[in-house]
Amino acid sequence: MPVFRWGQAWDPFHDLEREVDRLLASVSISFSGLRFGREYPPVNVYEVTDGLLLIAELPGTRPEDLEVFVTDGVLTLKGKRTGPDGVPDDRYRRQERLRGVWQRSLTLPERIQEDQMSAEFTNGVLKVRLPKAPATIARQIPVSDGNT
Amino acid sequence: MSNEIVKVMQTDAEQSIAPAADPVVFTPPIDIFETPDGLVLLADLPGVILESLELQVQDNKLTLFGKVKPDLPADARLIHQEYAVGHFLRSFILSDEVDHDRIAAKLNQGVLEVVLPQLRKSEPRRIQITVE
Repeated sequence: MPVFRWGQAWDPFHDLEREVDRLLASVSISFSGLRFGREYPPVNVYEVTDGLLLIAELPGTRPEDLEVFVTDGVLTLKGKRTGPDGVPDDRYRRQERLRGVWQRSLTLPERIQEDQMSAEFTNGVLKVRLPKAPATIARQIPVSDGNT
Repeated sequence: MSNEIVKVMQTDAEQSIAPAADPVVFTPPIDIFETPDGLVLLADLPGVILESLELQVQDNKLTLFGKVKPDLPADARLIHQEYAVGHFLRSFILSDEVDHDRIAAKLNQGVLEVVLPQLRKSEPRRIQITVE
């Protein structure tokens, strides 16, 4: 998106404008890559017929490095991503991909059948299925006459 | 800048390559590191499958375009969104030091790995001179 504009675009300044736009564009890319002030990983939640579907993008994470568990209505995602083995940092020409250990907890909005949860991880995308607990039948509490 | 083997291109030119029907195209984050044989490029392309990934070298330009088709049940209704889903596009300028014919790539768990081998220095070829 063009950000910088010279009032009267003389030809000599046209290149400068483009150069500044390019610089600003590259800055915003690195910022969105770092996801400042946001919890990692970002998740999308969908409502489906029988419950909820939570999706997170975790490219390059090994399934064995990924943990998903739920306790008392709080879903916790835990994982790590390591760089390629045996590549020292000074070999990098460019490094934009995040790596490290992360953990995120989310409070589930409704009653979930915790023993029916399932998760799959394909093509770097984690999908957690959270089936809703069936609506419970209201239990009648007998009221006895206190006078008798 | 001129001695870089892979030059990462500016993004505004790339936007025009994306088909107009697909509104969101992201620039995927990449790593480039050196190995004894050349360079390795890693790009995060979550949700991209082999069949929807295009990787091509034309002249000196390496372009990767990964299409993402969200795999969701028909009745899924988005109730909480923290990231947008879109395709991935990025281009690189390769120097003449890269052996274009031996470029290899693989896709694993949403990460594309492109191996860019350095051109083998060819031995000087002796040319026989005959005297007439």
